[in-house]
Amino acid sequence: MPLDTSTYSLALLRLDGRRWNELRRIHAQISTQAAADGSSYLEMGNTKVICTVTGPAEGRRTAQGAGQECRVEVEISVAGFSGVERKRRGRADKRTQEMQHTLTTAFSSILFTHLYPHSTIILTLHVLSQDGSLLAACLNAATLALIDAGIPMSDYLCACTAGSTANEDTDEPLLDLNGLEEQELPFLTAGVLGDSDKVAVLMLETRVRVERVEGMLAVAVDGCKRVRGILDAVVRAHGRRMVEEGV
Amino acid sequence: MPREAELSLNEREFILQALRENVRLDGRAFDDIRELQLSFGDEYGVADVRLGKTSHNPFPDRKFDGIFTISTEFSPMASPAFEVGRPTEAETLLSRLLEKAIRRSSALDTEGLCIIAGLKCFALRADVHVLDHDGGLVDAACIALVAALRHFRRPDVRVEGENVTVYSVREREPVPLSLLHHPLCVTFSYFNGGEVVLVDANLVEEQVREAEVVVTMNRHGEVCQVAKYGGLPIDALALLNCTNVALAKVQMLDKVIQQRLEEDAKRRDKGGLMAELNGDTLHKDDDRLDRTTDWLAWVSEWIEKAIGLTVGVVAQRYAVRCMGVSEGGTGRGKARARALEEGEGETVRAM
Amino acid sequence: MPAPTHSQNGYTVIGAVNGPIEVQRRDEIPDEAAIEVNVRPATGIGSPKERHIEHILTALLRNIILTHDYPRTLIQLTLQILSVPATHSTLPSSSSLPILPALINTAYATLLAGSIRLSTTLTAVLVAVPKSELEAVAQKGSSHVFAFDGRGEAVLVHSEGKKFEIEEWEQACEAARGCVLG
Repeated sequence: MPLDTSTYSLALLRLDGRRWNELRRIHAQISTQAAADGSSYLEMGNTKVICTVTGPAEGRRTAQGAGQECRVEVEISVAGFSGVERKRRGRADKRTQEMQHTLTTAFSSILFTHLYPHSTIILTLHVLSQDGSLLAACLNAATLALIDAGIPMSDYLCACTAGSTANEDTDEPLLDLNGLEEQELPFLTAGVLGDSDKVAVLMLETRVRVERVEGMLAVAVDGCKRVRGILDAVVRAHGRRMVEEGV
Repeated sequence: MPREAELSLNEREFILQALRENVRLDGRAFDDIRELQLSFGDEYGVADVRLGKTSHNPFPDRKFDGIFTISTEFSPMASPAFEVGRPTEAETLLSRLLEKAIRRSSALDTEGLCIIAGLKCFALRADVHVLDHDGGLVDAACIALVAALRHFRRPDVRVEGENVTVYSVREREPVPLSLLHHPLCVTFSYFNGGEVVLVDANLVEEQVREAEVVVTMNRHGEVCQVAKYGGLPIDALALLNCTNVALAKVQMLDKVIQQRLEEDAKRRDKGGLMAELNGDTLHKDDDRLDRTTDWLAWVSEWIEKAIGLTVGVVAQRYAVRCMGVSEGGTGRGKARARALEEGEGETVRAM
Repeated sequence: MPAPTHSQNGYTVIGAVNGPIEVQRRDEIPDEAAIEVNVRPATGIGSPKERHIEHILTALLRNIILTHDYPRTLIQLTLQILSVPATHSTLPSSSSLPILPALINTAYATLLAGSIRLSTTLTAVLVAVPKSELEAVAQKGSSHVFAFDGRGEAVLVHSEGKKFEIEEWEQACEAARGCVLG
């Protein structure tokens, strides 16, 4: 779904000076932690996430999960200082648990889990700073870390958010919302598999007219493809460096 | 805690093969919802939903502080895999989805629960009890919750400065909650690489599905929540189509709930308000006495009721006389009944 | 899974039994079945009161169920209270007697429906002894729950209330026996 750039003429600048279809700066690194099997650090604007991958290794609860496919376990810890207010989110927090579940099910179907029977892959994410698009940042960071760990997967899982300006007569979609916009506008988070139009993750949590969903989803899917380009460049740059340095 | 019994490979293959041949094991069409059975309890705000074998029973009750909370605790009654006191993932997800579908979409106008800003408010608590689990837990829980909220009546209040009078059900007709819209969930399940889409999968179908999408909508065509937690990637256009199907289903379900609510209201209104005021209450309670053995409790209630009623009748006669209408007149309109009621409420309080 | 519903004294209870099923290692008993009873209130989550009732019921059912027939297994009984009478809120919060007969009788029906082998039948009834009519209103009398097995022997006796004489208790017991055994 290509974007129509003619609406640029609206020149509606957003709070942080972006146009409606601009992503925030994405900065990503991989192999940040030497001790982990795979690791990554990702910034989407002011949202910052670290992800490490352990495994595939023998599971902690082999008796329960002894299947023909490996289990994906996800642990997300949100730092107390990550938000505007200092607030501790415990492990039992339902929003965090829901995000963990989302990552588990999303990656279980994208990774080639059948190659690692009786084993477990543990994804550990630390949220250092939150400014919107948290789930998207977690998904992107996990994708990079899994690539770093060398676990085969069918394609990149890239995610981003899209919102819709609440103005009733002009239904302008917005790409990649920051924290303030997320609080104000209806938005959705989409996770897309590679260059396709196939949506692996879709979360919409705000009430919105059904007609507006289509525009938001189209913009989000397009944004995911651009995120994929950025992540792919990071992976390739890292690969080149590895070859040059002969690591 | 025993694990949920997994399907055997044969069973799995059988279900999938049947789906490939456009057959669902229970004979439904792919986009058919199981027959909805919805019944209400004797008290306001109890709804019993049966969707196939899955059933729910929420019971909103009021307490003194806090706001609107939804509690979902699974018991081993629904499935031995649910352990008491240790929430499973399914339980967390259900409570999150209900939270998003009903609380975050501001279906319940929580401002309507406020009595004096910052000082006093009603607290509504909805307990979702899962009695049996045969798939479609989220859909059924949402139907039950919405039906219970629409059925629930909170006691009427009157505010005079800082004094709040809460009228009991006998003094004043309790008032319904103000619901801004009625969100309902529809779950789509994907099979065979996304070729087969089922609405309202049952438990075995849920165990073999490759992806699920929960769409929450109201009948006005607003999407309240969409959740696709990973699973098989689905084409974006196919996902958009889900919302259209969901809208039709939601409108259908909403109609059923509306119909049941009207039937229930008719059942409750049998004697009418005046009949109750004229002393029917006593007879009704007499019936109850015979059935009850715990008479310690009911005698006290009975005496309290009798006193209340006597005062009520006296007050009613007084009010009628003041209004200059002859007793037992023909105008048994609702407005008059309300006037009587108000008179009664004040007198009781004055005592 | 059978789910009998039973109403008594205005309390409606639905029951479900799972069993004999796999038991957790820490609860396992080598030569008999472990029994787990879950009582779930109509509103809110379980409190110490429900735990207390569960304790009473577990002890009672252990004598009724032929536990030695199901070694190293678990019989898991869930009793969900569906509705309580309007008078329930006027009772002192510690009072667990009025609900007890409904729970016991539902438990019995549930075990029967779940084909769990039992040594005898079980029937429970609540008896209230008022001192005088006025005092009864202020709940100064006593109330008792009696459960009888198939041979007419009392297998459970629980009493609550202010002081009561042994004669009153015997009277209550006879009344209950008459009520249960006809």
